[in-house]
Amino acid sequence: MLIKLAWKSTLNRRASVALTLVTIAISVMLLLSVERVRQDAKSSFANTISGTDLIVGARTGDIQLLLSSVFRIGHANNAVQWQSYEYIKAQRGVAWSIPISLGDSHKGFAVLGTDASYFSHYQYAKKQHLTFAAGRPFHNGQEVVLGAMVAKKLGYQLGQKIVISHGMGNTSFHHHDDNPLVISGILAATGTPVDKTLHVPLSAIESMHSTGHSKPSRIVARKQDATHHEHEHEHEHEHEHEHEHEHDSKNNNALVHNLDSKPGDLIGSTKQITAFLLGFESPLYTLQVRRNINQYKGEPLLAIMPGVTLRELWEMLDIVEKILLLITLAVVLISLLGMLTSLLATLNQRRRELAILRSVGARPWHIFTLLISEAIFITVLGCAFGVALFYALLIAAQSGLQSQFGVVLSISALSTYELTLLSVIIGAGTLIGAIPAARAYFYSLADGMQIKT
Amino acid sequence: MLTISKLQFTWPKSSPPVLTIPKLHIARGEHVFLHGPSGSGKSTLLGLIAGTLDCQQGEIEIAGTNASALSRGQRDKFRADHIGTIFQNFNLLPYLSPVENVTLGCEFSKKRRQNISSQNKSLEQEAKLLLSDLGIDEHTQQRSVAELSIGQQQRVAAARAFIGRPEIIIADEPTSALDADSRDGFIKLLFSQAAVYSASILFVSHDKSLAPLFDRQISLPDLQQGAPLC
Repeated sequence: MLIKLAWKSTLNRRASVALTLVTIAISVMLLLSVERVRQDAKSSFANTISGTDLIVGARTGDIQLLLSSVFRIGHANNAVQWQSYEYIKAQRGVAWSIPISLGDSHKGFAVLGTDASYFSHYQYAKKQHLTFAAGRPFHNGQEVVLGAMVAKKLGYQLGQKIVISHGMGNTSFHHHDDNPLVISGILAATGTPVDKTLHVPLSAIESMHSTGHSKPSRIVARKQDATHHEHEHEHEHEHEHEHEHEHDSKNNNALVHNLDSKPGDLIGSTKQITAFLLGFESPLYTLQVRRNINQYKGEPLLAIMPGVTLRELWEMLDIVEKILLLITLAVVLISLLGMLTSLLATLNQRRRELAILRSVGARPWHIFTLLISEAIFITVLGCAFGVALFYALLIAAQSGLQSQFGVVLSISALSTYELTLLSVIIGAGTLIGAIPAARAYFYSLADGMQIKT
Repeated sequence: MLTISKLQFTWPKSSPPVLTIPKLHIARGEHVFLHGPSGSGKSTLLGLIAGTLDCQQGEIEIAGTNASALSRGQRDKFRADHIGTIFQNFNLLPYLSPVENVTLGCEFSKKRRQNISSQNKSLEQEAKLLLSDLGIDEHTQQRSVAELSIGQQQRVAAARAFIGRPEIIIADEPTSALDADSRDGFIKLLFSQAAVYSASILFVSHDKSLAPLFDRQISLPDLQQGAPLC
């Protein structure tokens, strides 16, 4: 009965209650989203690489090396000489190694040069190996393996020919028209940056860059390179366009290309790579080899342990995370205080209502229950709307977040942690609702049946 | 029905007692008109009878029960069971329908609900019956409380006071917002409804022109001076 009264009384003031509800809903949505993104971002990052003992690159910051080599965030400024890679790879205890060459892109997706060991040794999440959704690893410099999302977003199919451009970003400076690659395989989705990567043999990268010009140190001299190309190709522009059209038609005609190639040379005359991953026969080698690499005389190199560096990254972000959480909690608190304000503001007008209820025999605690159940209504309903908004936002933002930042949002049921957050909010709402309820209780004790207006 | 003896009430922090009533008796079915100037303690007396104020000295006996000896909670329950109240105006909860406003009188009282069910009627039937008796037709019963005229609102409030047949009806200036014609009409309706089961009415007003309509009129200042009444 009291609940019914509270409900009807709340409905009667629906405009102000609706506003309160909206603020609570939005704050709850914010809190849940921030927490979900925070946790999913963490696990996405943690899942990206696994089983790798060391990442080695040219000397730079630990975190920068990790971000550029594994997460494709930022760029490596320097390269590692191929001889250095060969030398370190031959060290005692090294079980496997994966060379990585970055710096090119295809329609905004990163192009990664590597060799066959990538497909056999790269691990993500809980020591899972890469698997092929279709096709097989590349066999020669004319083949490319796509990440799941690249294939899906660009609508590429096995056997199709694609052209890879030079440089990063969507607008590339120069198309390597003369090096079309055949899609030999498409990887299964991993939820890591691998999905957004085109994998080519190192030799393909080398030949891309050596045709038409012979600049060996392409990464260091990229800028210079690019401007140079622009000039060089300005007069060829028309020609280039024609070429592109030709390609399109060719692609359509020969959609399924012959994939019967035999495994061949994947390395070619590669002189430099961006970084490489190392796995050891026993983790005991890790520290020793790491020290050797960091003191390597040939060139300044840096070896990092991905787990350790990831932890360093979290520590750095920890304060930001905490501030973000505090701000969202403050937003929730403010929305609850907003509810308190509106409840208290209407309370004076409702003294008549309370007196009428008292006159028909309602006890002060009935009045208390009436008022507090109203606050609980508003908070619970606000939380419910907040959760609905949260899922709506999650669905809306999911693909964007994945393609932009590689963060895979899980559209799963609320976790116990999130449910705890919600119950804390409802608890706080109840507690805050107790303030006007207590006031109404004392009003009704003092006023009795006298109507004060 | 209502007997008050040696009652004395003092507000905290004020030394002279606002109310001193040596004796007051209202018989069953009696319609009593109580008047007195503002500040003479009318509201205090009503609060004491209704049990929202603590009775400090003396005794209040209602329907055979010494109400002044009950605890607060018991008094709230007692009020719900035995006393119907009509206020000056704005008697109704705006978010309930007229019928719901009437049945509200039974929500906190088991006894009143039993009184109705013993007549083989549902709460809603009884509420509608009472409303019709008090001149609120079927159509008006469906309307929102805010759309009713003040006179209609007061009749709905009267129906709420009468539902479930409480022994005493307290009316605290229920006619002050009505014009002379509807005022008399309203009081007659009250009396006819009270006559159905001979409820006692304690009608408080400062408008002495209404006094002749009642069985008996009491001036609160006179009562306070200790003139023995009945």
